Amino acid sequence: MNNFEFLRMVNIGQYLPLDSFLHRRDPRAMLAVYFLLLAATTFTKSLVGILIALGLVLILFAIGRIPLRYALRGLLPPLPFLLILAVLQVFISIHPPDAQPLFEWKFISIYTSGLLAAGKLLLRFVALILLLSLASFTLSTSEMIHGSESLLKPLTYLRIPVHDLVMVIQVTFRFIPFLAQTAERIAKAQASRGAEWGTRKGGLLARTRQIVPLIVPLFMISLERAETMALAMDARGYGSNPRRSSMIVLRFTWQDGVVILLAAAAGAAILLLG
Amino acid sequence: MLECLTMALPLIKVENIYYSHPVNSGEPVPALRGIDLQIEEGEYVALIGANGSGKTTLARHFNALLKPERGDVWINGMNTREDHNHPQIRSLVGMVFQSPEDQLVATILEEDVAFGPENLNLPPEEIRQRVNEALRVTGMWEHRERPPHLLSAGQMQRAALAGVLAMRPRCVIFDETTAMLDPGGRRMVKELIQRLHREGLTVIVITHFMQEAANADRVVVLDNGRVMLDGTPAQIFSPASRLTELGLDMPQPMLMACKLHTILPEVPEFPLHLIDLLNALPEYEDNHRPLASAADGQAQADALGGEALLQVIDLEHVYLKGTPLAHTALRGVSLQALNRGTHGLIGGTGSGKSTLLQHLNGLLLPQVGQVRVGKFDLNDTQTDLKAVRRYAGLVFQTPDYQLFEQYVGDEIAYGPRLKGEENVRDTVRWAMEMVGLDFEGFKDRLTFTLSGGERRKVALASILAMRPQVLLLDEPSAGLDPVSRRSVIKNLRKLQQEGMTLVLSSHHMEDVAELADRLTVLDHGVDVMQGSSQVIFNSVEQLESYGLEPPLVAKVAATMRAKGWPLPATTMRVGSLLRGIRRITEGGGE
Repeated sequence: MNNFEFLRMVNIGQYLPLDSFLHRRDPRAMLAVYFLLLAATTFTKSLVGILIALGLVLILFAIGRIPLRYALRGLLPPLPFLLILAVLQVFISIHPPDAQPLFEWKFISIYTSGLLAAGKLLLRFVALILLLSLASFTLSTSEMIHGSESLLKPLTYLRIPVHDLVMVIQVTFRFIPFLAQTAERIAKAQASRGAEWGTRKGGLLARTRQIVPLIVPLFMISLERAETMALAMDARGYGSNPRRSSMIVLRFTWQDGVVILLAAAAGAAILLLG
Repeated sequence: MLECLTMALPLIKVENIYYSHPVNSGEPVPALRGIDLQIEEGEYVALIGANGSGKTTLARHFNALLKPERGDVWINGMNTREDHNHPQIRSLVGMVFQSPEDQLVATILEEDVAFGPENLNLPPEEIRQRVNEALRVTGMWEHRERPPHLLSAGQMQRAALAGVLAMRPRCVIFDETTAMLDPGGRRMVKELIQRLHREGLTVIVITHFMQEAANADRVVVLDNGRVMLDGTPAQIFSPASRLTELGLDMPQPMLMACKLHTILPEVPEFPLHLIDLLNALPEYEDNHRPLASAADGQAQADALGGEALLQVIDLEHVYLKGTPLAHTALRGVSLQALNRGTHGLIGGTGSGKSTLLQHLNGLLLPQVGQVRVGKFDLNDTQTDLKAVRRYAGLVFQTPDYQLFEQYVGDEIAYGPRLKGEENVRDTVRWAMEMVGLDFEGFKDRLTFTLSGGERRKVALASILAMRPQVLLLDEPSAGLDPVSRRSVIKNLRKLQQEGMTLVLSSHHMEDVAELADRLTVLDHGVDVMQGSSQVIFNSVEQLESYGLEPPLVAKVAATMRAKGWPLPATTMRVGSLLRGIRRITEGGGE
C-alpha cells in the first residue's frame, strides 16, 4: 500500500464502460430514473418499500452487468458508521406508550419498534448507497453533464445561466483528479524535507496537523491553474459568442420513455406499499 | 472582389503597442514598449527572447486575450479592441500553451476537442466532422474516449493542438509548447508544426530552444519589450547579432561547428541545422594510422567502478494497485549508483524515472524487489524513513509543489528546523551560497515573487539545507531558459566537486552528458541499458529506438566514425571530441 496515492481516494468518475441496456439509455432518462428511485427510497416509511427498493437495485445491477463486488466495495467504508447509527436507533427510537420491551436491564430497554427502525435505517442506507454507486457506474461524467444540461434547459427562460453552471460542473469534474495529484506531489515534496508523511506512524492529531501546510500550496497552485485554464478557455472562444452548441446530440427513444414509466411505477410501489 | 480585399490584408498587424502588467497595490510593470510587427498569411515565425522579454505578452495580443494600452492590433483587418470581433479573431488565431494539462477542459478527450467549435455555435454534425479530422491529424484518434488526466504530457499537448485545429484557424501560436515534453514528444510536435505550415497554416512559435527557432522562416528577437532583431534564421543566428547579450544562445549545432571549424576547415562555421553540420563532416582519408581502439575508452569507463551506495534489485511498482486504473510503472528494474558518482536516468515520459527516484528516498517502498540506500534497507519495515529522506534528498521537477512558506529564508529553514538543528541560520546561509543565491538579498523575499530559475534554486537549497549525502534530482533543468539552465548545471557541478553522490533524471541529454558518468536507460518501466554514459551515449541507433536523442557530440562522433574516422566510441564531451580529432589529424603527438 502506498501512502501517497491520493488518487485512490477519488471515487467520482468510477464509470465502468460496459455495453449494457442501462449504459445504452439516454442519460436524461437514467438521471430521471435514479432521481425517482432515490427520492422514493429516501421518503418511504414502510419496510416492504425499502425491501422492494433493495431488490430492484440488485436487479438493476444485473441488468447493468456490473459485478456485485464493485457494489460491495462502495458499501464497506461507510458500514461502521451505519452500524453505530443503527445501534443508536435501537436505544433512542420512540415506541408506543403501551409497548412491552423485549429486553430490559437497568435503564436500558429494547423495543420491537426500535429494532425495526434500526433495520430500516440500515437497509435504507444500503439501498441508497447502492443506487448512487450504480449511477456512477452507468453514467460517465460527460453523460451526467450533458444529461443535466438538457434537463435544466427550461431554467434558461428564468434567466438562469444553465450553460455556465454546467460548465462549472464540468471543470469541477476535471479538477478533482488534478487536486488529488497535486496534493500527492506536495505531500511528497514535504516528506522529502522531513515532514511526517507516509512514515508508517503518526496519530490522528499528527495527521490532521500535516494537512495545514498542504492546503496553502494546494490553493495557490489551484488558483494559478484555474487562471491558466480560464485563459485557455478564453483563447478557444468561450464566452465571446452568446450561443453555444453541443457536439453530443442526445436521442430519446421509446425504450427510454418506458424505463422512466417503470421507474415511476416502482417509485410509487416503494412509497405506497406495505 | 471581397475575396481579393481580404487576401491583401496582413494576417497580423501590430502598430506601436504598449502594455504593462497590472500589479496589486503597485506600479504596473511595463512589458511591451512600442512594438511594430507584421505577419503575413502562411509565414513560419519564431519568437525568441530571454525570460521576461515580453514574448508571451505579445502573443496574447494576437488573439485578443490582451488588449494594448496604446497602439492597435489588427487581425485580418479586425481591431482587437472591439469585442464583437473576438469570436472571429479567436477562431482565426489559435493558441497552444506551455503546460498541457491546463488547457483541457472536458472530462473526455473528444469532447474537449469539441469545446472550441461548440463555442462557435456550429451545428453538431459539423463539429463532429471537425473533431474527427483534428483527432486524426494529431494522431490522437485512438485516445478519443480517454479522460485527459490519464494521458501522457506529449499526448495532452497534441490533444490541446487538436482542440485548436478543430476551430479551423489560419494561424496557430505555440507558446513554449515543447518545454515540458520529452525528446520523442518534441520531435512529434515539431513534425506536426512543419506539416501544418506546409499545408498553408501560419505558424508562430515561442521557444527557448534555438534549434526550434532555426527551423522557422523568420526569427523575431524580443528584448525588454522591444523588437531587437527581425530576420531570417541565417541573419539572426550569426555572431553579429550578439545573442548572448540578449540572454540567448546560438543553436547547438552552430556552437559545435564553430569549434570544429578551427581544426576541420571543411566544416561550415555557421550551419543552421544539425543535418548541415553532419553532412559537411569530411570523410576520413588518412589511412596510415592504426585505428584507435574503442577498448581504450571502455577500459577507462570500467575503471570508474567503486562501491555501490544505492542499490536497486528487480524492483517492480504498480500504481493504484487493485483498482481499474492500475498501471505498472516499473518492471524488474535494477540499478547501482556509485559513491561520489553521478548517475543519470534517461527515458521518455512515463518510462518510470520519477517512480524509481522516489524509491531512492523512501517516498515509495518496494512492492516487489529490493532497495538499499546507503546503510538503509527499505525492505525492512523497521527502517526510519525520515532518516532515509534526510540521507537522500529529492528535488522535484516543478518547484511550485515544493515551496509552501512565505519567505525564502523560512522555506530553506523548514527542513533543518524540523530536524531540530541549532544553527539553522548558518545552514540556510550555506545552502543558499551553494546554489548561488545571496543570503542577505534573498532571505526575506516572498517566494511567489521569484522567477522560474530562482524558484528552482530555492527548491534545491531547501533540500541541501538538510545536508543530504545523496542528491536525487527529477528534471533539474526542464522549462528553463538557456541562462538559468547553465546556472543550474554550474551548481550541480559544484556539488559534485564537494563529493556528493547525485542521481538525476532528465529529458535533456546535453545536461545529462555534461554531468553523469553512469547511466540507466528506462523504457516503459524496464531498464533497457546500463553502463558508463560514454558508451551508452555513443549507441546512437539504440537510443533513438527508445525515442531518445543522443547528445550532439555523440551524434557528430557517430557520423564521423561512419565516415571512417577512428574516433573512440566513447566520445561524449566536446573537449574529448576535439582532442580525438586533433590527435588523428596531427598524426598523434603523444
